[in-house]
Amino acid sequence: MITPPVIDDEALLAFAAEIGPRDPVVVRGGGTQWDVGGAPNGDVREVRAPSGIVEYRPDEMTVCVRAGTTVAELHAALAENGQRTALPDGSGLPDGSGLPDGSGWPDGSGWPDGSGLPDGSGLPDGSGRPDGSGLPDGSGPCGSSPSTVGGAIAVGRSPVTRLGDGHLRDAVLQLHYVAADGRLVTAGGPTVKNVSGFDMCRILVGSLGTLGCIGDVILRTRPIPEHEQWAKLDDIEPQIVLNTVKTATAVLWDGSAVWARLAGHQVDVEDDLARLPDAPETPPPELPPFRWSRRPKDLYRLGEETGRFVAEIGVGVVHCERPDPDPPPIPAGVAALNRRVRDLFDPDRRFNPGRSVERT
Amino acid sequence: MRLGRRNRQGGARHDRTDRCVADLVGALGPERVRADGAARHLASADASMFSDGTAGPVCFPDSTEHVQAVMRVAASHDRAVLPRGAGSGLSGGAAPLGDPIVVSTTRMNRVLEVDAEDRVAWVQPGVVNLDLSRQVAPLGLHFAPDPSSQQVCTIGGNVANNSGGPHCLAYGVTSAHVLAVEVVLSSGEAVVLGGLDAEPSGYDLRGAFVGSEGMFGIATKIAVRLTPDPESIKTLLLSFDSVADAAATVGAVIASGLVPAAVEMMDQRCVAAVEDFVQAGYPREAAAVLLIEVDGLSRGVEADTRKVAEIGRAHGGNVRVAADEEERALLWKGRKSAFGAIARVAPDYYLHDTVVPRSKLVEVLKAVYEIVDRHDLVAVNVFHAGDGNLHPLLAYDSRQPGANERVAAAGQEILEVSLAVGGVLSGEHGIGVEKRDFMEFQFTAADLEQQALLRRSFDPHCRLNPGKVLPSAHSCADVASLSASRPDGVWG
Amino acid sequence: MTDSLGLLGVDQAELDSCVACGLCLPHCPTYRVTGADTHSPRGRIALMRVVDEGIAPLSDEIVESFDSCIQCRACETACPGDVPFGHLLEATKEFVETTQRRAPWWLKLGLRGLTRPRLLRFVSSSLAVAQRLRLVPSRRMGIPERLPVRRRALRPTGDDVWLFTGCVMDAWQRDVHLATKEVVEATGTTVRPTGDAAPCCGALHTHAGLGDDARKLAARVISALDGDNAILVNSAGCGAALKDYGRLLDSDEARAFSERVLDVHEWLADRIDQIEMPDAQARTGGRVAIQDPCHVRHVQGTHMAVRRVLEPFVSELVELDDEGMCCGAGGAFSLVQRQLALDVRDRKTAAIDRAEADVVVSANPGCSMHLAAAGHAVRHPVELIAEALRSR
Repeated sequence: MITPPVIDDEALLAFAAEIGPRDPVVVRGGGTQWDVGGAPNGDVREVRAPSGIVEYRPDEMTVCVRAGTTVAELHAALAENGQRTALPDGSGLPDGSGLPDGSGWPDGSGWPDGSGLPDGSGLPDGSGRPDGSGLPDGSGPCGSSPSTVGGAIAVGRSPVTRLGDGHLRDAVLQLHYVAADGRLVTAGGPTVKNVSGFDMCRILVGSLGTLGCIGDVILRTRPIPEHEQWAKLDDIEPQIVLNTVKTATAVLWDGSAVWARLAGHQVDVEDDLARLPDAPETPPPELPPFRWSRRPKDLYRLGEETGRFVAEIGVGVVHCERPDPDPPPIPAGVAALNRRVRDLFDPDRRFNPGRSVERT
Repeated sequence: MRLGRRNRQGGARHDRTDRCVADLVGALGPERVRADGAARHLASADASMFSDGTAGPVCFPDSTEHVQAVMRVAASHDRAVLPRGAGSGLSGGAAPLGDPIVVSTTRMNRVLEVDAEDRVAWVQPGVVNLDLSRQVAPLGLHFAPDPSSQQVCTIGGNVANNSGGPHCLAYGVTSAHVLAVEVVLSSGEAVVLGGLDAEPSGYDLRGAFVGSEGMFGIATKIAVRLTPDPESIKTLLLSFDSVADAAATVGAVIASGLVPAAVEMMDQRCVAAVEDFVQAGYPREAAAVLLIEVDGLSRGVEADTRKVAEIGRAHGGNVRVAADEEERALLWKGRKSAFGAIARVAPDYYLHDTVVPRSKLVEVLKAVYEIVDRHDLVAVNVFHAGDGNLHPLLAYDSRQPGANERVAAAGQEILEVSLAVGGVLSGEHGIGVEKRDFMEFQFTAADLEQQALLRRSFDPHCRLNPGKVLPSAHSCADVASLSASRPDGVWG
Repeated sequence: MTDSLGLLGVDQAELDSCVACGLCLPHCPTYRVTGADTHSPRGRIALMRVVDEGIAPLSDEIVESFDSCIQCRACETACPGDVPFGHLLEATKEFVETTQRRAPWWLKLGLRGLTRPRLLRFVSSSLAVAQRLRLVPSRRMGIPERLPVRRRALRPTGDDVWLFTGCVMDAWQRDVHLATKEVVEATGTTVRPTGDAAPCCGALHTHAGLGDDARKLAARVISALDGDNAILVNSAGCGAALKDYGRLLDSDEARAFSERVLDVHEWLADRIDQIEMPDAQARTGGRVAIQDPCHVRHVQGTHMAVRRVLEPFVSELVELDDEGMCCGAGGAFSLVQRQLALDVRDRKTAAIDRAEADVVVSANPGCSMHLAAAGHAVRHPVELIAEALRSR
């Protein structure tokens, strides 16, 4: 009889030991989305996940990376083989930081000037960052975002290119996480296709670290398209862009102008551009700090309450200047299920106490 | 693993069953409940050879309310409940253990709403996969997951198994195409998991539900994402003198930065069986053929087609590009009929399903041939080469003494080889009963306990499809009794 | 021909050739409308095994499963393993009939009547008169609303080919025979109608499990139509039955006979260039939807020939989008399993409505009567061809 693979990564084992079987604990990544779901209680022990790429298999289109690695560092390494993942590294955004503009963060605490960040080794002090040269759009250094792989997965929010590149959660093939009892657990499996057992990865993605502490992850990689660019269109209905620009991996709309990210074969992007009226290559607008979740068709009915906004057409995310006054309600039955999941996985509520997936 | 044609035990029915049937009839009406031997016998198996229990009463609900009513009757009689779609599963997921009440979703077969603007459709679980794609075809849309059984399998079954198919290489498996699911829990409560908005809050219960093999709840409405049809599609048939050349071509195509819509491989014996059925011009003399499809915009597709053809020829392959839609459809019909066509080789088959790293394909295929030869069996290989998803098909005759045992032994060895090179137990058929007892090969006790927690979050009493997926040590306590006290047969 | 007979007496190898993959399910009209495995080909075969191996007696539910089959044989077209479902079910029905004698008395009486052409025509004409006097509820009885009181004479013009005239079709749809004769003669071929010497092909008897009656009829037809001339058939069900005599009687003579049988469209398709084509205006007007009788599409496989022959003579030919799903007629099925037949027909009606057709063509009397009863304008393909020829 054969046995499951033994986890022998020293860094991972040390991470598990540090988390241990008891006491409140929270894993800190880059802190770029620290406020999502409410800040954790003040006196909680903070732990950092190990960092570094464990194994990159360009031919399998998979990469095993420790959770504390920044997405930017991961993508810089993958770019050497013309690949990347569906995780947000900010490279598609105007300032390359992956951050809106830094200003106007809801709590503003410790962010994004780095002041509130622990000194933690392996953390973005700027040194040793990739120069971003391998990046698809070549726009600016991608290394300025401290956002980590583990953090991105724990929050579960896709970058603005979700329309074309798919949801972040679908790129997660396997996770190692530390359960509430301190044991290391494997969710999913290393191959690009896998239905062995229940889909544990899905419940961990977007769980805000409340069910388990992510140690490392195997991600599916994708080839970087031959050509990518942003194009700005004025005086056009965003749904027309959505339906006619076949190579669009993102269509952003601020109520007047449309920015489309075109990606694919050079010839296909050219064909798409030829179909459009004047569409100069223009970086997209900065994203306001608050995320609203809507049905794609409801994006055209946004009112004054948003303030300045940038909507992801075809996806339904709206980046707004204010918190959502009217978020979609959580039905009682679903809330009860959410509670039961957390009660069973973490009966003592030791992971990320004070934080809730229902308060985003 | 137990192999056997069908359960064939006899016996008398209990009074408790009669009372349960009476309550079901009271809740659903007599036309929606079948308790006779014929109906129960047929609900006691799926398309696999795994069958240990016998179906209890078989219910045919029309609505969410009907399913809720069944669940409440089941709770009041402390009976297990097993959802069933078209019964085309291959891992015994819809084959009962014990004598559960069976909920057939075949009459919940309406497409409730198609929203072309948001590219979403709400469907009932009994809608047949291909029927949905046909219905939305005039809108230039389709449902991307396309298991080989797509002409018969239901969307509800696809959700239960997180089904794949040739085109999930580029488009992703079912989970990526399900936005929301209305689920009736074992309590009888109906909840909607996920949502049509971009980022529904809370845990991804939708994602957890997809692939839960009927053990978390019964899907009664499903919001699926519809995918725009590609502007251009090219299908290439590449034939090779050796399996190794074909496998090397797959690796080279992927390494070139292409993501083809599909990359399928068939070995010689499979090609022969398939060609007998479809007469699509598959080359019988080739040791292996690849069916590679690229799609997208016209000029890009032309470029990709040339690139795939070049790579194929560089590996010694003969390349044929399907000239028109008719030829393309015929090639795919052959590929998707492969399992049934195996009846031409031997009267029984065991269709395996493992995934290995693409780079290990040749090594594992060699091992598969060696294993089946040693067990005096015939292996036919037809599989999703693009994502390393192997489907060795062991053809045999169950009436030969010892044949079932040899198939079981060979099946286990193939699993072991796949896991040893870094693969997994199942790529798309699921665990069911087939691989339940092998879960401990891939997962530790801690891993399995966590999976059991997830299951208990949804179904605290383990009433739904008990005894599947998780080995007995990690399942609910009552499961151990499922096989210990074999229920009475259907022909009471 | 048969190895190791089980209790059911069907061919064991045929029974074992089903691997239960389920690819037949969506093509089965009864499974489509009820969603019950007992109403599916895979389920029926599994129940045949149950009876064959003595696991269970022939219960009412099992017999109902077999009786609910329309015998359209669409499952055979869909089956990648070539399971001969039609043969299996016919043998099973014969077993059921010989051991339990379940066929209703009125069905047996009716089927016996088919073999007596004069009686049949007399009864038919009497019914027609009764219809005119509004004495019979035609719809409820499942018969056409306006049966012919008189029939025009169908006279031979020579001996080049036989035209098989059959039973009900000759009594109720003589005009189709006349049109067929007209079209065949347009190729320069002379026609001899088979008439009362070969009164009935026996297809309905086979379907009902009355194997002995069917074999007697087959022998009678074969001896009546000796010689080497081709036998043209314009009824899908009869054509399929005549082509199956070789297997039914298992004799060289019967096999040679079956070789001579051709669906009339199949025969015409090879000779279409011998007919002087009508110009565009003379084509039959409107949108013509093709309904493939199952015994054309799934049994004889001559449905493409129907299209080839019809296409030059009609202005617009449209396909139904239901992949040749059965209409529910099934010979006597629509009388014996009334509700199921109507439910299946509803799907066909919806497909015809979606096609927005002015007229539906169907090359089988059972289908055309069943569809006409649902209010569709139904014609035989050769009728439209004959009309186009007349207006040249």
